[in-house]
Amino acid sequence: MKRVFSIGYLSRVEGEAGITAEILDGKAVVRARVFEAPRFFEAFLRGRHFSDVADFTARICGICPVAYQMSSVHAMESIFGVEVEEPIRQLRRLLYCGEWIESHSLHIYMLQGPDFYGCESAWSDRQYLPLARRGLSFKKLGNQIMTILGGRPIHPVSVKAGGFFKIPDKKTLSGLLPDIERAYEQTLEAVSWAASLPFNDNDWDWECLSLRGPNEYPMNYGNVSSNKGAEKPMADFLEDVREYQVAYSTALHAEIKTEGPRPYLVGPVARLNLNHDLLPPEIKAAIRQCGIRLPMTNTHMGIIARSIELAYAFHEAVRIIKTYEMPGRPSACFEPRAGQAVWITEAPRGMLIHHYEIDGEGLVKRCAIIPPTSQNLGHMEKDLNHFMQMHMGEPANVLRKECEKIIRSYDPCISCSVH
Amino acid sequence: MKRPWIGVFKFTSCDGCQLSVLNMEDELPDFVSLFQVAYFREAGDMPLRGRFDIALVEGSVSTGWQKAQIIEVRERTRHLVTIGACAAAGGLQALRNWADIEDYKRLVYPSPDMIETLPCSTPVSDHVYVDYELWGCPVNCDELSEMLGSFLLDRKPGIPAYSLCMECKRKGVPCLLVAKSEPCLGPVTRAGCGVLCPSMERPCYGCFGPKEGANIGSLLEAFRNAGFSSHECVLLLDKMNTYAFREAGTGEGRF
Ligand code: SF4
Ligand code: SF4
Ligand code: SF4
Repeated sequence: MKRVFSIGYLSRVEGEAGITAEILDGKAVVRARVFEAPRFFEAFLRGRHFSDVADFTARICGICPVAYQMSSVHAMESIFGVEVEEPIRQLRRLLYCGEWIESHSLHIYMLQGPDFYGCESAWSDRQYLPLARRGLSFKKLGNQIMTILGGRPIHPVSVKAGGFFKIPDKKTLSGLLPDIERAYEQTLEAVSWAASLPFNDNDWDWECLSLRGPNEYPMNYGNVSSNKGAEKPMADFLEDVREYQVAYSTALHAEIKTEGPRPYLVGPVARLNLNHDLLPPEIKAAIRQCGIRLPMTNTHMGIIARSIELAYAFHEAVRIIKTYEMPGRPSACFEPRAGQAVWITEAPRGMLIHHYEIDGEGLVKRCAIIPPTSQNLGHMEKDLNHFMQMHMGEPANVLRKECEKIIRSYDPCISCSVH
Repeated sequence: MKRPWIGVFKFTSCDGCQLSVLNMEDELPDFVSLFQVAYFREAGDMPLRGRFDIALVEGSVSTGWQKAQIIEVRERTRHLVTIGACAAAGGLQALRNWADIEDYKRLVYPSPDMIETLPCSTPVSDHVYVDYELWGCPVNCDELSEMLGSFLLDRKPGIPAYSLCMECKRKGVPCLLVAKSEPCLGPVTRAGCGVLCPSMERPCYGCFGPKEGANIGSLLEAFRNAGFSSHECVLLLDKMNTYAFREAGTGEGRF
C-alpha cells in the first residue's frame, strides 16, 4: 500500500521549503524539498576584495548575519596571521551573544512556541500573547546589544578583519546592565517552562558535532568534536565532510564521509551535549532542578537547549560588560597576504564553516560556505523517517502536524542553506 | 473600522527585511491590532487567499516561477510596497547580471543542470507596478513604521529621498571624503539609515541605494582623482544595489 502526503510551503520557518512523505510497503521516506532561489554567493565572491567578504556573506542570512561576519573575519585573520587583542575578542563574543539572544528568542517564542499551544502564529491566540511579549522583550535586548556594537541588529556595519571600525566605551555598554541582568533571571526561570513542554519519545543513536572550547562555551574558537569521541582542529575538518546535491533541493546537503557516510546534527542540542560542563554553576543548577538530563537523547528538544543557551547568552553578556576595559585601538594593523584557511564559528543554528583562498592582492580566489542548516538537512530527514516509521498508522493530518513540529525543532534556516 | 489586510511576501532574499517587521518589537502589538495580518509565512500558518489592502514584498525576482508569483501578488493587492534592496534593486544576487549564469551554476553546484534560475536577478518594479519602494539593506524600522502609519492615515510617507550627506552633515560627523579621501558613497546614497557607517568612521557602502538624481559620474571622478582605479570604482558600486547604481550611472546598466 502506498500513502503520500506533503506540506507545500512550511510556515514559521526561515526561508522556502516543504516536505513530501511517502509510505510504501511499510517503509517511510520523507524529503525536505527546498525551493528557495539560489543566489550564488560563492560565485560572485570570487575576485572581490577580502574586505567586502564580511558584509557580503552577512547578506546570506538576516537572522544570523553576525555568524557570517565572525566566520569570515576569523578566516581572514588566520590567513593574514593577525592577532586580535583580548578586549576585541570579548566584544566579538558579546556581539555573538546579542545574535544568539535575538535568534533564540525569535525561535523559542515566535516560531516554535505556538506549536505547543496549537496556535497559527504568536499573536493569533490571546492565551499565547504573554509568552509572545516575553519573547519580544528578550529579543529586543539582543537587538540592542547588536545595535550598540554594530549600529543595527541586521547586517551590523562595525565588524572587519582585525577588529571593529569603532568600539563602544564602558559607560555605554554598562547602560545595558540593569535590563540584561533582569532578563537573565527571567530566562533562567523560563528554562523550567521549556522543560515542562510535552515531547514525543524519540531516542535513537545519532551523531552530533560542535566546537568544543577548552575553557569556554564555544562561539568563535575550539576544535570540532563529536559525541562519538572524535576531535579535530577546525582547519582539518573539511577532510571529513562531503557536500552533495539532491534533485529535490536547491540547498546542498553535507555528511561525514569517513568510516561510512552518515548525516550529523549541529546546533544547540549538539553544543549543549558536548559543552554543558562549561556552563556556569547557576545554570547547571537550574538544569538539574528542572530534571533535564544531559546529554539530551531526544533531538526534538531543541527548544529546551535553546532556552538554556538563551539564559547563558544573557549571563555571558553581563560578565563581558562587567569585565570590559576599552582597548587603545579598535582593530589590529596588518597587511593581506596570499593563503587559505578554514574557520568555523557557532552560529545560533550550529557550526558555520567558511573556507577562503586569497591571492597576493587580497582578492578572493575561491571560497566555500557550509551553513549549519545544510549540515542538518540530511539528519533532519533521517529523524523524520524514523518518526514516520514509528507512527505510520496515524492519520495524515496528525503526521503532518508532527512533522512540522519536528522540522521547527531543528530551527532550519533555509535562506542560509541556499546561498 | 475594518482593519486593512496586509500580506508579507518573500522572493529571493535573506529574510532580513521581513525580520525587520518582527524587529519593531515595541510597535508589533499595534501592528497586529491595526492590520489584519493575512499572509506572513515566516510568522504563521496562513493560507494564501483573498485580496490584500497592502502587500510588503521582500526579495528580487530571480526564477521563472517568481515571475508568475509576483504577478499574482500584484493582482491580489491594492497597494504594493517593496521592502529592501533586493526588491528595489535586485540585491547582491544581481551581481550575476554582469556574469555568465552557467559559470555561476557550475561553481556552486555539482549538478548544475538540476538548477532552474534566471540569468538575471531583477527588481520587482521590472515586473509589476510598484506603489512605493522602501530602500535599505535592510530597511530601517522607523521608516517601515512611518510607511505603515502613513498608509493607515492615507498620506504620503515622510521619507527623505535626498542624500546621506545631508543627514551626515546635520549630525555633525566629520567628512571622510573631504578630510581623509576615503571612498564614501554618501553623496549618491539615499538618507535613511541614520548615518551608521560615517558615524563609525567608515565610508558608506551604499546599502540604501542611489538617491534621486544621483550624480554618479562626478563622484567617480572624485574617487579617481583620489587614486582609485576605474575597476575599483566599479567594485565600490557593485554591491547590494549594483543594478540601481549602474542604471543611475548611465541609464543603461553600464558605466
Ligand atoms: S535587502 Fe538586504 S536585508 Fe533585505 S532581504 Fe535583501 S539582502 Fe536581506
Ligand atoms: S562622510 Fe560620507 S556621507 Fe558624510 S558628508 Fe562625507 S561623503 Fe557625505
Ligand atoms: S552609511 Fe551607507 S552603507 Fe552604511 S548603513 Fe547607511 S546607507 Fe548603508
